Amino acid sequence: MSVVTRRHEEIQEKIENELPDAILDIEEHQNAPAIVANPSRVDDVVRVLKENGYNHLSSVSAVEYENRYESVYHLRRITDDREDFDEINVVAHADRDEPAVQTVSNVFKGANWHEREAYDLMGVRYDDHPDMRRILLPETWNGHPLREEYDVDQPQYTTLEAHANPIEERYEVDEDESALDTMFINIGPHHPATHGVLHLKTVLDGEVVVDVEPDIGYLHRCEEYLCERLNYKYQIMPYPDRWDYISAGMINEMSYARCIEELADIDVPEYAQVIRTLAQELSRIASHMLAVGTFALDLYGELNVIFMYAFKDREIVQEILEDLSGQRLMFNYLRLGGVSYDLPEPREEWFEKIRDFTEELPEKMKEYRTLLEGNELLMKRAEGTGILEPEVAKEYGCTGPILRGSGVGYDVREVDPYSYYDELDWDVVTKDGCDNLSRVQVRLGEVEQSARIVEQCVDILEDWDGEQEIQSRVPRSVSPPAGTENYTAVEGAKGELGIHIVSDGTEQPHRLKIRSPCFSNLSAFSELAEGEYLADMIATLGSLDLVFGEVDR
Amino acid sequence: MMGVLKSLGVTAKHAIKGDTFTVEYPDESPHISPRFRGSHKFSLSRCIWCRMCEEVCPNGTIDIKTNQQREGEEYNLNLGQCIYCRLCEEVCPVDAIILTQHFELNAGTKAELEYTKEDLMDVPWYKGMDPLEAREPDRGAWIGTDEEEEVWEPAGAD
Amino acid sequence: MVTFNDAVAEFFGVEEFSPLVEFAVALVGAVIVGSIILTIVGVSAVWFKRKLNARLGDRIAVNRVGPAGLFIMPADALKLLSKEVVVPEGVDRASYLLAPILAAAAVIAAFAFIPFGSGLQVADPETGLIFALAFASLGAIPIVMAGYSSKNKYSFLGFEREVAQAIAYEIPLVVSALAIVPLVAYFGDTDTPLRMSEIVAAQQGPLLGIEGLPVPNWFLFAQPIAAALFFVAILAEFSRNPFDLPEAGSELVAGYLTEYGGVNFVLLFLAEFAAIFFGGALFTALFLGGGSGPFLPAAVWFLIKMFAFYVVVQWLRATVPRVRIDQLLSLGWKYMLELTFLNLLLTAGVLWVVL
Repeated sequence: MSVVTRRHEEIQEKIENELPDAILDIEEHQNAPAIVANPSRVDDVVRVLKENGYNHLSSVSAVEYENRYESVYHLRRITDDREDFDEINVVAHADRDEPAVQTVSNVFKGANWHEREAYDLMGVRYDDHPDMRRILLPETWNGHPLREEYDVDQPQYTTLEAHANPIEERYEVDEDESALDTMFINIGPHHPATHGVLHLKTVLDGEVVVDVEPDIGYLHRCEEYLCERLNYKYQIMPYPDRWDYISAGMINEMSYARCIEELADIDVPEYAQVIRTLAQELSRIASHMLAVGTFALDLYGELNVIFMYAFKDREIVQEILEDLSGQRLMFNYLRLGGVSYDLPEPREEWFEKIRDFTEELPEKMKEYRTLLEGNELLMKRAEGTGILEPEVAKEYGCTGPILRGSGVGYDVREVDPYSYYDELDWDVVTKDGCDNLSRVQVRLGEVEQSARIVEQCVDILEDWDGEQEIQSRVPRSVSPPAGTENYTAVEGAKGELGIHIVSDGTEQPHRLKIRSPCFSNLSAFSELAEGEYLADMIATLGSLDLVFGEVDR
Repeated sequence: MMGVLKSLGVTAKHAIKGDTFTVEYPDESPHISPRFRGSHKFSLSRCIWCRMCEEVCPNGTIDIKTNQQREGEEYNLNLGQCIYCRLCEEVCPVDAIILTQHFELNAGTKAELEYTKEDLMDVPWYKGMDPLEAREPDRGAWIGTDEEEEVWEPAGAD
Repeated sequence: MVTFNDAVAEFFGVEEFSPLVEFAVALVGAVIVGSIILTIVGVSAVWFKRKLNARLGDRIAVNRVGPAGLFIMPADALKLLSKEVVVPEGVDRASYLLAPILAAAAVIAAFAFIPFGSGLQVADPETGLIFALAFASLGAIPIVMAGYSSKNKYSFLGFEREVAQAIAYEIPLVVSALAIVPLVAYFGDTDTPLRMSEIVAAQQGPLLGIEGLPVPNWFLFAQPIAAALFFVAILAEFSRNPFDLPEAGSELVAGYLTEYGGVNFVLLFLAEFAAIFFGGALFTALFLGGGSGPFLPAAVWFLIKMFAFYVVVQWLRATVPRVRIDQLLSLGWKYMLELTFLNLLLTAGVLWVVL
């Protein structure tokens, strides 16, 4: 801790020397100190931080207060060395009436989408932003839904002009000569590879993608708004399951639990920690299985065997999780201070089920590797396509298997441990290929590592002779002190899943921002896809493993 | 080309083995864990109208109306809106509401899924069946002490 | 090997029919062949394909309608045929509606040249092989019509791919097939080695004419390289996995099929499946000795081999991913073309030395 504090002081000094009037104040957040920056100089502050190793912009969240708006930036050092890990926050205050902050998208490209989201939902404008449009809501939307004054019952009038067929004008042939060589094509939302939730505005030159712009928001449910109107103790917990809704629910719940437990200072008994870890890793296996299967689906089309085998194995994991939590996807299993109930009885039978699965897994992984890595035709398709250089990945805030597939070993479980990961023996999987293949290989490797963790957890639970305490005593009403805020992340199946909670002293969060890994990963998509063949663009989309419940929230 | 042939070998192995993992659903019921959270069962005789379930429900699925003396008048549950989080069961001090293993729910209109307390007693799968039976052997963990088991009377049995 | 007409003439004990009777008998033969093909396509496309894919993917598949789900065939046919024929706005109507009929007609007509064995062959011209290959390539034209007339960008991309693919694999297909013609002339001792019945007849003896060898003289064994090249070329020609780029479910929605529904879709779908069987029939006739085999009648053996080809195609479909368009073209132009010509020269060279 002292190392980190010293580093914070150094960096503060450095900024003060380089930018004399940029720092207005220093606030203390639960996770790290926050530099209150001059709103018009915030990009300079972030640039200095980036130059000094804070090379990962986790999230940008806008918070509304009675007299101002705040734009909060969460920066981290991406590193595979735990000693070197560190985080710092930057806060920029904005005016109540005309909230505007200088953009940092010229420092971190990944900030582009985050700032668009903040503008869309909270109405904070970012000056000099290259593309200040709405991102999740339709462009014709009136009002900013996360604002206190927003009236949910207000009708959304759309003028006839705005309703006009957006592609009508494209029927006319463009006079511009260069436009005649290319073709604009809408891939999605009703396309097999985007299944109703993503729209790619693509410009093709023959079969080659020259320009692609993802259009998201088809699955936006305003999860943040929902959570801000629910109680910490029970009511928020069912909702994280619905962010990354394909089987990574346990990890999502952990992301919320971690943030609020740190903020409200709730202990978790060790026994419950082990169960949590076990549940999370089972979730991760299920999620990666699906990712591998759907990647194959995007390469093969229709129902192919890899997809089927992946589903078959995932089914086993889901049954184990159902025995534990009572449901297959929407687990609602974690509670503040522990888990909702103990392992299912008879325990030996359940452990046996898990052991059977982990024992059979190496055989199955061999099959997957034969079908994926062994198959020359698949290698030809997956190798060297969808290249994402590590620098670009960091620039966009990509995390998870995407980043590790580019050779950067950043894993929140490793650098910023939570649950029981610290006590267990496992490795971070990285590959240097930077292509679609290495992303899939990372997932396959992680399934094996997760199985290792699961085995260890089962061993610990089997030999457990202490008290089987599944929940610590949590007060009837959980309400962190007013004005405190916290940003924590867990390693979700898709990457760094962070939660930013701002408390106002009540039982409900004042602001709950979800930093979704898929959102950041998708923002790098045009970098990955441009210059690729159409077929490889679809494969790249598959290799990113996007879940739109999490992108759109 | 060896890799392709090997892959073909893997698929052939599966085809020859002939294992299936899908289930012929209505004939063969899928694996349902004892903890599964399906449709609700509500016991009018147990309910003490404390409104805990209504308060904890994250999306207002449960709607309770009481009179001046705080005696229960209506207990409405909109199954079409429920997210099956099981929080109502968790907070209920007397186990008056319970999520059963039943999951086969259908209706022609949304309104048909709005159940009143009479409906909740009258639904066929509640009749003469102890919804906790499926929860063996960890039933104790669900309803507390063993004595409470004796108090239990399946609703609709009377 | 005799054609259907000869077989019938022999049955009635006549030397030759009058032209009108000849035509009528040929028509009967065509009906028989057509029915066989349509039945096989119906069974395999609707029922067997599902069963096989399910088996490969550890699933159960259709088993509700009738015994083992067999009645799914009439049920599916009824469903598809009773659908409304929707012609989207702005399509090139004539071409849009003509394409499915042409597609189905072309591929079914191609079966006329196939020697099913047991006298079941509708036409046996001297240039049978060339005719059959010409019909095989004819299938590309309706696809172009369908794709272009649909006024859909996915359809457009699909037919573009089809054109590129058909051109790239046309020559390898023909040249790899030609590599067996010298062998036919040599083993069959015939002046018309392009006649399909002669090609089959030449494969009946022991391998390479060596007496006592238990292996038949199938050109699969006598010309393995040509067989492999022909197999790949025929997969690409009829756009089956891993070369199913014109359809490419996950990329182009359904390619040239995107705008089709109801009976038009049925016809295109039928043409596609019939084409696989046509490919199987060609492969059987050219490389698997036609209807040769013990115990069973020749026609049955032929159908079994044809079906085996279909099984292999479906098996590949479940196991290998689609190649990319540039990979497909470079494989076609850079490798297949050269290899097929090399193989042809090699064959000629070997025969020259032997003779």
